[in-house]
Amino acid sequence: MLKIDNLHVKVDGKEILKGLTLTVPTGEVHAVMGPNGSGKSTLANVLAGRPGYEVTAGSVRFEGRDLLALAPEERAREGVFLGFQYPVEIPGVNNVYLLKAAVNAVRKHRGLDEVDAFEFLTLVREKMRLMRMEESMLSRGVNEGFSGGEKKRNEILQMLVLEPKLAILDETDSGLDIDALKVVANGVNTLRSPERSLVLVTHYQRLLDYIVPDHVHVLVKGRITRSGDKSLALELERRGYDWVSGEAA
Amino acid sequence: MTSEPRTLALAKRVLDEYAAVRESLPAGVVSAARRQEAIQSLAAQGLPVTREENWRYSNLRPLERARFIPVAAADPMPLPVLPPGGELPARLTGFARHVFIDGTYAPQLSSPLEAPGLTLRNLRSSTAPAHPPRARPASGSPPEARLALLTEAFATDTTSIHVSAAAGEPPRVELVFLAVAAADAGASYPRVQVALDPHTRLVLLERHVGAGGGDSFINSSIELEISRGAQLTHYRLQQAGARATWLDTLAAVLAADARYRLLAIHSGALSARSTSYVRMAGAGAELTFSAAALGDRQQVQDNFALVEHLAPHTRTEQTFRGIASGRARVAFNGKIAVRESAAGTDSRQSLRGLLAGPEAEIDVRPQLEIYTDDVRCSHGATAGKLDESMLFYLLSRGLAPEVAQRLLKWAFLEDVVSRIEIPDLRRQIERDLAGQMADAASLKELL
Repeated sequence: MLKIDNLHVKVDGKEILKGLTLTVPTGEVHAVMGPNGSGKSTLANVLAGRPGYEVTAGSVRFEGRDLLALAPEERAREGVFLGFQYPVEIPGVNNVYLLKAAVNAVRKHRGLDEVDAFEFLTLVREKMRLMRMEESMLSRGVNEGFSGGEKKRNEILQMLVLEPKLAILDETDSGLDIDALKVVANGVNTLRSPERSLVLVTHYQRLLDYIVPDHVHVLVKGRITRSGDKSLALELERRGYDWVSGEAA
Repeated sequence: MTSEPRTLALAKRVLDEYAAVRESLPAGVVSAARRQEAIQSLAAQGLPVTREENWRYSNLRPLERARFIPVAAADPMPLPVLPPGGELPARLTGFARHVFIDGTYAPQLSSPLEAPGLTLRNLRSSTAPAHPPRARPASGSPPEARLALLTEAFATDTTSIHVSAAAGEPPRVELVFLAVAAADAGASYPRVQVALDPHTRLVLLERHVGAGGGDSFINSSIELEISRGAQLTHYRLQQAGARATWLDTLAAVLAADARYRLLAIHSGALSARSTSYVRMAGAGAELTFSAAALGDRQQVQDNFALVEHLAPHTRTEQTFRGIASGRARVAFNGKIAVRESAAGTDSRQSLRGLLAGPEAEIDVRPQLEIYTDDVRCSHGATAGKLDESMLFYLLSRGLAPEVAQRLLKWAFLEDVVSRIEIPDLRRQIERDLAGQMADAASLKELL
């Protein structure tokens, strides 16, 4: 599904990713963990195509295609989804309009007709119940006045409605209390399937108690320094990032 | 440089053109004496020039080419008709409609309404005397309002609206001013006078539209007197033709506890300038002034608003949202003056401009003059580009860049558009604006 090879990325002239290599096969859930400043969010953003991230070397292939050659909206239509660490508020753009526009953009790309309005709303309502979101949030502006937890739930709601092939969730657990974390994790888990891949970018192991990854990678100073199964996350939790930070020097 | 003689030459030309037609201008609309007074006052002040502080963002060059003689000077005027392809905005339920084409009333396109307490007269065709405004807002006006004098001198008709009693829902009146004639055929002078007696209410919808694609020259003037405890909701939609020049002066006086909700959307004309002068003359008067302006291509959308607080405990809330695309200039110059007599004034101003083109220009300018300590004023003015993080968010959800940009521009105007309280009107405006923001089929379906 996703094959990142020797990726080097600069932000504001400073190299953040320094030869990152990572392969995520179809149907797997991978966690990328790392201390602050290790390049986790850079990885998430560069995969989604955010402007300001300069790829100086390496490649990213998504289903065999050059992902970096695609514009952000093309990546989304191909089935790449970024769950933002800090979802932006867009007053005046209605939540449900955005959802519908996003779904139709993907459908159009696949040569399908626009979604039926009634079926669409039925689906959205069902997913909202799963995310324990109040229906009134649909008619509000995108993330407008939402609490931190509500914003993260809204990200997962969008993901559930869009059903991407590859979802990259950037610190989706940050700022969530334990109940909200369970709701979010439950939502994410419903999307796990043999056709779909997930990359969880996180600082803490806590999220991985609820979304159990197939593989765990440790990102330090712009490179993956260690990979393993879910027990690696537990070991990291126990020993702290100092344990791996020394290795990258 | 050469501008001084040019100004003088222009003032002289206005006088000459006035002299040439004054005999044929209808005395029932404005008396000959009053016209003479107006034209002389204007000539003495000179026509506005962009060297003046509060005209600097305007495009005043069309004044030099204008023919000031009204299109509708002949008496009697033949019945005006819609030009081929000309279209009027869809009618809204419950509104009386009065249509004027190039300044002449078109009864066959109008549908007056009988409402208790409402008297509406088009003075040219009316034999009954107009309800005289008790306080003439135009007198003692600031120099920025002097183009109203041009209308007063040349007016071919005036719509006089008087509300004398309140019963049930407020009457709803729509005035449609359609400009068709090109500038070399003459100017049109929409003129409206509104008087609300104490504790009465009115909803007024004023539209300025174009047809035929000509470079029409329109100089409009509206005077409003809102008595004690009266409430006026006033929608103004400027959708003049793409090559038109639209100049406009609004003067309003609010008595004690009067409430004036003014909402203006300017999207038409090549060169537009709107001057608003609102006097908060009675204690407890309230003004909500919301305006949006859209400019594209070479359009100039200039707005100047002076709100003068003269009485205690008066409140103003002013919101402006402007978007400049292409090479357009969009300006809002909002001056708030709080006189010594206006203790306890509360004034809020939020002016925001969005630059949506590399060659576009936004000028948002708050001006404050405060002569008393006991005031609450909050003022914000910003001009900027589309928010990159919002744009990326929408792109990351698969929206095309054009759609995402249009959606964000749309969202930017919401602070104004969402205040439209009449659902049908709001939908109509949303559709118009969506159309204005390019061929927005994909956006319309979202609305």
